[in-house]
Amino acid sequence: MERKNFLRSLLIGAISTPVVIDACKKSSTTENAGTTTTATGGSSTSNCVVAPTETEGPFPTKVPASYVRSDITDGRTGHKLTTKIIIGNSSSNCSPLAGAIVDIWHCDADGNYSEYGGTGMQSTNYQSVHFLRGRQTTDTNGLVTFTTIFPGWYTGRATHIHVHVYNAAGKSLKVTQIAFPEGTGTAVAQVNGYSKGLSGYTYNKNDNVFSDDTSGIEIATVTGSVSAGFELKIQLSVPV
Amino acid sequence: MKGKIRLCYRKMITVDSMGTWERLVFTDSFTEFKMQAQYYDQAGKYNTFAQLLQNAPNANQLHFLVSAAIVGYVKQLNGIVPDVTNNLGLLFLTFDQFRFEIVNSDLRNIEKHVVAINFYSDELNYLAQIDQYLLTSKANSTTENMGETLTDLFTISPYLSIYSIQQ
Repeated sequence: MERKNFLRSLLIGAISTPVVIDACKKSSTTENAGTTTTATGGSSTSNCVVAPTETEGPFPTKVPASYVRSDITDGRTGHKLTTKIIIGNSSSNCSPLAGAIVDIWHCDADGNYSEYGGTGMQSTNYQSVHFLRGRQTTDTNGLVTFTTIFPGWYTGRATHIHVHVYNAAGKSLKVTQIAFPEGTGTAVAQVNGYSKGLSGYTYNKNDNVFSDDTSGIEIATVTGSVSAGFELKIQLSVPV
Repeated sequence: MKGKIRLCYRKMITVDSMGTWERLVFTDSFTEFKMQAQYYDQAGKYNTFAQLLQNAPNANQLHFLVSAAIVGYVKQLNGIVPDVTNNLGLLFLTFDQFRFEIVNSDLRNIEKHVVAINFYSDELNYLAQIDQYLLTSKANSTTENMGETLTDLFTISPYLSIYSIQQ
């Protein structure tokens, strides 16, 4: 009887108005309760599961975001690029800014970003999904260093690396992009767009982000070769 | 119904989640959300995730971008789906696929932060339904021996569902 009363209370919760009306008509209550028992009984018992009864552990420990690493390659193939970014404080004569958080991200040799595969509804394997994305904190010289690959390119954009600089508390200080030198002998010319060449390439002067940078302050210094790898250096000053 | 199935467990994590693991996922995903949201709303006009989705182009990438904050915790599970137990009270589902979601959030108030982690199980052989229980065996198991197959008996609890079936 207890079970029946419980089930009846569920019915009242679900469709209260008709039940109240039915309760005034003594003759109809039995029949209604009978049909309800079957339907409600099925779903309520299926919610009953055995509580976990296992030895505790392993115990979770705090880990930083997977962005926090200096080598952001994650198995992507391409010519090695060592990226050195110095963050200066533009509110203080561009003196080195220590303790700033620097995020960088760029596309792979084929021009694809890691987030392209991650915005849909499909599942992803949890290994190396955030390729070519990294986060470092500046040292006393304002320097962060990443090991990555030379970015590829895609239609409409010159070769670039995205940068987001935060203060130590995570407040955004600057969102910007790093451009690459162009012309004979430059890294862009040497890499030559990997397998797809540079036909249809967007150069800095036509790029919708870099075209207004007539003094070239967004263009990094890039040295090296395909065989030895490249090194990129740039100073970015941010308001603090 | 016969065939191979994969289950999906959608683990909801809210301000009321009390476990150590859940608290770490909760707080670290909120911190990362606050950082990454600034990229999509550089003028700082919006406060909630819903407003960002409606008004900021590509803000749906935040699901993916914030997931980096919790990948380390997913790895700590060692490929075992949490919470879902068989009728012996043992965790029995394994996974290597997951998807992280921001369900709701508000930059001003961590209590509004709700996230979900969808765990997609490895393949199971669907064998039978016994009363309210499903009987399955691991599809890639090496435990089959002399005609004996090891099985798991369990109920489909809330937030657990059959994700896919392959005949």
